[in-house]
Amino acid sequence: MNENEDIARRVELEIDRALKRNIKGLDFLIADREPVGTMPKSVIHRDGTAVLYRFEPVLDEIYRVPLVIVSPPSNRGYIFDLAPGQSFVEFMLNHGYDVYNLDWNPPRRDEAELGLCDYVDRFLPDSLAAVADVTGEEDVSLAGYCMGGTLATIHAALHPAPIRNLITLATPVDFNYMTLFQSWADKRYFDVELLVNNLGIIPADVMLGAFDLSRPANRTAGRMTLWNNMWNDDFVKSYRMFDRWAAETLPLPGTYFRELITRLMWDNALVNDTLDIADRHVDLSQITCPILNIVAQHDHIVSHEATRPLMEMTGATDRQEIVSKGGHVSLVAGPAAVRRLWPHIDDWLGVRST
Amino acid sequence: MQGMTNNAYDPIAAWQKMIQDWEGEINAWSGKLTQSEQFSAVLGQATKMIVVAQKTMSEQLEGLLQSLNLPSKTQVEAMTDRLDAIEDSIAQLRIALEKLANEETPSPTKTEPRRTRVPAGKTKTRKA
Repeated sequence: MNENEDIARRVELEIDRALKRNIKGLDFLIADREPVGTMPKSVIHRDGTAVLYRFEPVLDEIYRVPLVIVSPPSNRGYIFDLAPGQSFVEFMLNHGYDVYNLDWNPPRRDEAELGLCDYVDRFLPDSLAAVADVTGEEDVSLAGYCMGGTLATIHAALHPAPIRNLITLATPVDFNYMTLFQSWADKRYFDVELLVNNLGIIPADVMLGAFDLSRPANRTAGRMTLWNNMWNDDFVKSYRMFDRWAAETLPLPGTYFRELITRLMWDNALVNDTLDIADRHVDLSQITCPILNIVAQHDHIVSHEATRPLMEMTGATDRQEIVSKGGHVSLVAGPAAVRRLWPHIDDWLGVRST
Repeated sequence: MQGMTNNAYDPIAAWQKMIQDWEGEINAWSGKLTQSEQFSAVLGQATKMIVVAQKTMSEQLEGLLQSLNLPSKTQVEAMTDRLDAIEDSIAQLRIALEKLANEETPSPTKTEPRRTRVPAGKTKTRKA
């Protein structure tokens, strides 16, 4: 093929893409929300903001120990089941796990007083009891993403007995290294009491604002990249699902938000060993079960350093860490996780789930 | 010729690179900015002002809607809360009923998978 022919083909391809962009661009503007969370599931426990789902097992023979994934209270749990082929839940079901997800509904106004204690000492143990009822198994593998991982870690420190394995995905423990949030909620200038006392429930916009601050160009650059790839159905579908998830950030109960800022962020109470929940001391060294700590190399929200205490302060002797390429969300969704990360999780968890 | 084709100017690739570079620069600049104490001070003050302004505005709007005999935000929120609470109760009732029904007459069609799986190549080590 000579150079002129090559250029002609390239021009033809770009014209074709430009036409498709225009047509699909119109579709994009008028399209309904992209469906997410497609694996069949049922609610097995519900208590206000807390909803526990059981995903229907797909194999006749599954591992003995069930897997419970804890969502971060500020985000919808369908990120674990974004779409067929990009779903952590689907992957784990296909590899023989009995998968549950402790997810959160937007809190009602009468739930503004829910605090850390309610999450780690009520919703989590009640959910694990519901899982035990269904499975007849006393122990469980607990996984948590972002703040869901922090809640799972605090729970595991308070109630170590039934936790067979702990998997933490982008889980902050040392909040001194949550630099973005430290400057956003700077103790000298951030009036958390004013916010909580006036709002009761902290709107999602407050959290979204903090995320946008960390990467102000992402939204615009994302739109530009979308336009560029508008001809590509898979890209557009994927973009719309992530966009929907990011936009559906959940509001938070005021008391939980206050404790998150004052106890975890300002006092760094988990690392400084000063966190008490319902008059019981949260001691990370009480966690002796195997731990798989997974961090994203380019995570601008939860840095590697913020997760280090899981490898250094816990009492476990069986600890493994995986640093995966990509950003914060790439651990729990996206084609790269399917190929690279999740098979490692299966390898690690399978031998510990019998 | 092949080499020439590879080195030919690709406007799309250049555009993508420009977006990536721009995104990186803005984010890096923002990263530096957000680390400064001045930024935290401005943000703290702005948050306070937004909360106070929102509160004042919603109080005024509440009064206006009331005078127009229209449902206010507080009333709509209260209704949503009540609907959520009803939904919550129905879900809890359904779970309890299903559990009860299953205890009395276990469904013959709904079989639980065996919990005996072992990883490929491993010997079975079921917990005693």
